[in-house]
Formats: sequence, structure tokens, C-alpha cells
Amino acid sequence: MDSTGQTPALAIAGLHKTFGDHLAVRHAELTVAKGSFYGLVGPNGAGKTTMLSMAVGLLRPDEGTSLVFGIDLWQRPDEAKQLIGVLPDGLAMPEQLTGRELLTYLGRVRGMDHDTVTARAEELLAVMELDGDSERTLIIDYSTGMRKKIGLACALLHGPKLLVLDEPFEAIDPVSAAKLKVILRGFVAGGGSVVLSSHVMALVEQLCDTVAIMGRGTILAEGPVDGVRMGRTLEEAFVELVGAEVSAAEGLSWLAS
Amino acid sequence: MVGVLIRMKLAVLRRASTGSRANWAVTGRLLGVLAALGTCGMATLQTTSPSTVLDLLAVVLAIWTLGWMAGPAWVGEPVLRAEHFALVPVPRGKLAAGLLGAAFVGTTTAVTLVAFASTIVFAVRLGGVLPVVVAVLTTLVELTVVVLLSRLTGRMFGALSRSRVGAATTAVITAVMLVVSSSGWIVFTAIDSVRNTGFSTTFSTVLRALPSSWGLVAVDAAARHAWGLTVLPLAGLVVLAAVLFVAWSRVLGPPRLGRPAVLGTAGQPARAGRFLGSATGSVYIKELRTWTRSPLRVQNLLVPPVFAVLSCLVPLAFGSSVFLPFAGALTALMGAATSANLYGQDGTALWLVLLTPGAEENDVRGRQLAWMALFGPLSVVLALLGTVLSGHTELWPWAAAGTAGVLGAGAGLVPLVGVTQLAPGPDPHRSRYSPMDHGDATGGAFAVLVGALALTVPALVPVIVGTVLDNAEVKAAGVFVGVVTGMTYWSLCARAARRRLVAKGPELLALMRAGKELPGQSVEGTSALKTMSKGRQRLLWWSFGIGCIALFPQALVPMAMKLSGHVAKVWFLALYVPGPWQWPTIAFMVLVAAVAFTIAARTFLGQRRRLRAPAPPVENGTETRESVVRAG
Repeated sequence: MDSTGQTPALAIAGLHKTFGDHLAVRHAELTVAKGSFYGLVGPNGAGKTTMLSMAVGLLRPDEGTSLVFGIDLWQRPDEAKQLIGVLPDGLAMPEQLTGRELLTYLGRVRGMDHDTVTARAEELLAVMELDGDSERTLIIDYSTGMRKKIGLACALLHGPKLLVLDEPFEAIDPVSAAKLKVILRGFVAGGGSVVLSSHVMALVEQLCDTVAIMGRGTILAEGPVDGVRMGRTLEEAFVELVGAEVSAAEGLSWLAS
Repeated sequence: MVGVLIRMKLAVLRRASTGSRANWAVTGRLLGVLAALGTCGMATLQTTSPSTVLDLLAVVLAIWTLGWMAGPAWVGEPVLRAEHFALVPVPRGKLAAGLLGAAFVGTTTAVTLVAFASTIVFAVRLGGVLPVVVAVLTTLVELTVVVLLSRLTGRMFGALSRSRVGAATTAVITAVMLVVSSSGWIVFTAIDSVRNTGFSTTFSTVLRALPSSWGLVAVDAAARHAWGLTVLPLAGLVVLAAVLFVAWSRVLGPPRLGRPAVLGTAGQPARAGRFLGSATGSVYIKELRTWTRSPLRVQNLLVPPVFAVLSCLVPLAFGSSVFLPFAGALTALMGAATSANLYGQDGTALWLVLLTPGAEENDVRGRQLAWMALFGPLSVVLALLGTVLSGHTELWPWAAAGTAGVLGAGAGLVPLVGVTQLAPGPDPHRSRYSPMDHGDATGGAFAVLVGALALTVPALVPVIVGTVLDNAEVKAAGVFVGVVTGMTYWSLCARAARRRLVAKGPELLALMRAGKELPGQSVEGTSALKTMSKGRQRLLWWSFGIGCIALFPQALVPMAMKLSGHVAKVWFLALYVPGPWQWPTIAFMVLVAAVAFTIAARTFLGQRRRLRAPAPPVENGTETRESVVRAG
């Protein structure tokens, strides 16, 4: 239970992961309230993907738990996974299928009935603009942006309560991004919860109500966007918390001198 | 450049080989060393005419060369590729020289060098210093030639395999080369008569014209002081190496990334029936679409039947049609071997299975059904055709029991070996312009071959007994046993594969994501093999290997031959000893196999017992998770 007395959509407690000598995630803690639009920001190598992978069941943690609506994902995986939709970053798909074939396949594997799968696939493909000319294109021939969109469609298909999206807006054109924002805002307005990771501070400021800043494998700050900003821009807060110094004089001495 | 690239290759190799896959690779190398030593041994063979030895050696060297040319189809792309250096401003010639130097570093090259050194053994036998000098020179040049040939055929296969038609062509070429290199032993069935009479003049002339024989021709001429015939082939080899080198450095340029796109279905899916609409049926449809749309899978699908049919047709040249009924069983066996790395080929797409509740079972079963739907009818039809057309209808129980047994074992082992011996490669969408660039699946394929053969033995036992007792009913019972054991393997292996996917799914995904096992991310977990000392591991693999060799080629095959009356001595020890000693020799081999397998089993089980013994309490986090996984 969180401070409002509600079970959080996602509660990460003490997730920890090392790869040999390399410490990837250090006892990370974060709480995503039900109905919240949650942004996770951090520099490259901060451990965002590793932490989210552990949170959704794609990477086994060394220590710690991930509770999805109060259900321990690593203890009762089948119940927890029913509730989440995931968009991982850069992973393969069943590449020799078209978008519609993939959604039909996934729906049937999830035990959804024919009419529901067909109707949802139709709607998702139309929204993501993966029908029409792209109808018969196999996923292996999709562009990077199209791959992101079909990944999102897969995450949304079974009507999850929580969406965990790793870099969802990367490589997506502005028109599709605008549509996607409308979908995600509608999802949150309808009671759904979203966690997204991103490098783009402006996007997080624009979309999210809560933000966490991750650096060196752990959560450095977490809270309402305004609380974390404390009068600065999110970017300034981020740079300060991560401990990087950016000065105008810095640069490569030998480059274009 | 060469030094830098060699160090780079060694660094990559050091980090890439781990786990039980490495052990299978060691077994493969061991067999390679044996074959190489055998080649050198041939150079010392006593024959009526010394030129016969030259011809025999020429046959073997031609097989080695073909093996190198077919190699890229199995092992994927080389470790270092020109594409890695596309943006480095190095002239192509220099880059080619560097890559060639690095290509020489590797066990396969070392093993081949030993095999090619048979030319030196041959020269020593002929006597004189000059032939030996010529032999050393030709050995080195020939090694360069095969390495270059292998790289060039690899480029050619790579370019072809981007389309399905190209992949089909590659499949046929690969199968033909595999048949030639694996059916070479047929020459040795006739070795007794060849030793006395030699080959026919035409065969001998054609054989000596092959570049792989030029070294031997030069050595032979040097011993006879025929200088023209010494210099000509030697110069020919050097020119050939130079031409191949230039051709190779030319094709190292920027790749042309065109490829025909395959199109999928359009419009809303029709309402599927009870099975096809189910979760398993859905995986089955996805798999069938992958098999027919992916160039790599098309190749995996076509190599087995072409290889099987050609292998069984080759003995016709020697008047024997006895192998034809087994075309079906051989198709199933090769089909299982080429499908040994299905999960590895699909790459990180495994995440969808991991995130869908209960999807593991459907995934395994759907893949099995698709494999059976493709290779089942194909094998059965080929077995039927082979039995009827060859006229050896009396062999039907052998063919039917063998086909049923191998099909069941194959359908079982394909997903199981796929998740236990997974060879990670690049994700399919990253290698769409180079489908040949897959993980090196040789270890898994080898495991499937040995496993499927071993699992087929029970089906053959009633057939053997029936043949001894001359009882048709007992023989026919073998078919029944084949079907029953096949179904058992299918179901048991599917359960084992599902359990492993559930228990080790995240680790398998991590393996494919990283392309290698990360520290602390062992897929094996606390398996006995992983924790075993090097010495014990070596004991385990050696005894297992010796057991396999003693049981299959040295006991079961000669036994089958003696019982069926179709005897070909080949390299079956029992058939070379005098008549009354043949059965005791076979019995001795069975005993050797039994002892070897017992040692292997005891080594493995002993280690597992030690592991299961109560350990001191560890950090509680890890402890609970392990027990959860076991329970799940």
C-alpha cells in the first residue's frame, strides 16, 4: 500500500543485479501509483533497461522483488504477467510474420477469442498506420519506427492495466508520436498506469506526473515532476543529480581546431 | 595488420566458447584430429603400385578440400569479417592479407595442416630430400588455397542465401558437397581391390587434374626427377592461390544490400478451426510461415532430403541399392540436425514467450508439430519410395522401424537441444542481408545426431532379434516399438524442454541478448557439468565418445550387416577378423561401450550427487528464488 492507501501498480523493492564485477543495478526502489504516468530518466548505462527487464520478468534479479498490483512477479509470474504490457528496447520479434499475423498469433497464444483479436488488431494497425501499403510487409522488413509501433501494438493488445515501455518514442516520427501520446494519455485517464524510460527530458516533462532519475545503477530522486525539478528545468536537475559537469569550454582538443 | 587481426580473433574466440557447447566442439575437433592422422596413415599404405597410394591420397585430399568449401554453410560467417573494417581506410589488398593471416589461426586449420602433411609423409616414403622440400612447399600453398576457397564459397553462399531461390540453390550445392565429402568412404569399401589393381586410368587422370592433387603429382615427379611435372603443378598451385587471393580481395568491397522481399498474407484472418485457433495451433502456423518464408529455414528444410536421396543413390554406382530404403530415416536424421538451433535462430524473440503466461508449453509443442508436419511426410514418402524402387522389400522392417524411431526422437530432441545447446547468433532482423551469419550450431547438430541415433536403437532391437530368429512377426514388432518409443521421446523431451524454458527462460534470453554467457548469468545454473573439474570433464567426454564409437560403428552396424547378409567391411573391425572371431569381437565392442558409458554415467551422476548434498546456507535472496524456480 502506498500513502494514499492504494496498492501501487508497480513497486520495485531492492532490485539488484551484478554481471561478474560489473554492478548494473544497485538495490533500486521505486513505486508507481495506480493511474500514474511515470517517467524514468537517466544517462546511458545508468541501468534503466536492466532494472525494467528485472521488473517485468525478462531478467532474473540477484536480489529484490517486483510487485505488480501487489502480486510478486517472480513468485506468481502467470498472474502478474497477465496485468502488464511491455515494450522492450531493440529485441527481435517473430520476424517472418506481417503485423496483423503477429497480433493474431499473440492474441491466440494469450487465449483471446477470435472476434476480439481480429477487431483489436484492426484498430491497432490503423492507429499505428501499419495497414494499407504495409499490410503484407513482413516485420523483418519494417523500419526502426515501424518496429517500435508494432511492439507497442503487441504491448496493448491484451488490454493490460500497466504499461512498461523502454524508450517508446525513439525513432518514431512526430505524427506517430503525437498519436501515441493521445493513446497513452487516454489509457492513463481511463485508470491505466504507464512507466516509460526516455532520454528526452522535454517529453517526460510534457507527459509524466511522476519522475525518477536513475544514475550509477540506483534511483537518485523520485517524486512528482515539480518536486524533483524544484524550480529548475528537469534537465538541470538531472545533470546536477547525475553529477556530470557540462562546461562550454569542454571538447576534443584535436577536433576541428 | 596481420598481428593485430590475429590478436583480435583470439580475443573474440576466447570470450565466445563456454559451457557444454564447447565440449561438443572439443569432441568434433577430436574426430577431426583422428581423420587427419588417418589421412597421414594412408600415405604409408602398402600397395602393389606406389601410384595407387597417390590416387588414394588424392581422393582423401579432394574430400578435405570439399569439406572446407561446404564448411561455411554449417559454421556460419567467419569470426572476423571485412564488413567490420568497412570504414577503416585500409587498402583492400592489405585487409585481405590481414584477414587471411587471421584465418590461419584456428583448430580447423591446424587439423587440416596435419591432414595435408600426408603429402610430406608420402614424400618421405618415396625417399630423397627434394621431394620432401617440394612436399613442404605444396602443403603450405594447398592450405592457403583451401582457406581462400572456403572464404570465397562462403561469400557466394552468403550472397545467394538472401533470397529463397538462392537459399534453395545453396541447399542443393551444400547437400551435394556434403554427400561427396561424407560418401568418400565408399571408395574404401573397395580398398582391398584398389590396393592390388589401382583405379581405372580415366578416374586416375581426372583425379590428378584436380588442384587438390597437384601437390602429390609434383612430389611424385620430383622423386622421379621429372622436372617439368614437378614445376608445373607447383607453379599452378601458386598461381591458383594468387588468383583466389585477388578474387577474394575484390569481393571484400562494400556489400550490395539488395534482396527480394517476401510478402505475407493480406486482410483479416479467417476464423480458424479448433486446433489452428488454439494457442499451440497458432505457434504451429507461425512456425510453418517461418519455415517457408525465411531463406535460412528454407535451406535447413531442403538440405536433408537432397542429402539423404543422393547419399543413398551414390552406392548404386557400386551396384548396391541396399541403402535406398533408408533415405527416409536419413532425411529425418539430417532434418533434426539442421533444426537443432531453432531457438537460437529466432534470437531474442523469446521475450514474447517469456511475457505470455503459460506460453512455454504451447511454444515447444507448436514447434514440434511444425517440424513433424514438414519432415514426417517427407521421410515416410522417401522411405516408401526407396523400399519399393530398390526392390529390397525384405528390408521394410528396418526402414520403417528406423524412420519411425528417428522421427520421434528428432521431434523430441529439436526443441530440447534447442534450449539446452542454444548457439546465440545475431537477431534475424540484424542479419537480414546475411542470413548465413547465424550462430555456430555444429555442437547442437552433433548432439542431435548422436542422440537421435542412440534413441533409435530400441526400435531396431526387435528387428535384429527377428532377423536372427528368422521370425517375420518379431521383425514387424520393431515398427511398433519404433512408433511407441518415438511418441514417448516426443512427449518426454517436450516436457523437459518446457521445464527448462520455464526455469531458465530469462537466462536464455540474456545469453541471446549478449551473444555469450555473461558472468553470473549461467544458463546451466548449478549443473553438474559446469561445476565439474577439467579432469573429470575430460574423463566424461572421452568415455562418452569411446562408448559411442564402440557401440554404433563397431558393434551395431557390423551386427546389422552380418544379420542382413549385406557385408561391406569399410572400417568395421569385427568384419576384418577371421570368421569365428567376428561375433566375439562384436560382443567385446558392446562390452567396451557398456564399460565406457558406465564410467561416463558414474562421473556425471557422482558430481550431481555431490551438488545435491545439503550445502551451507547462502544469501537468503538467491536461496528462495532457486527453490521457486524448481517448484515452478
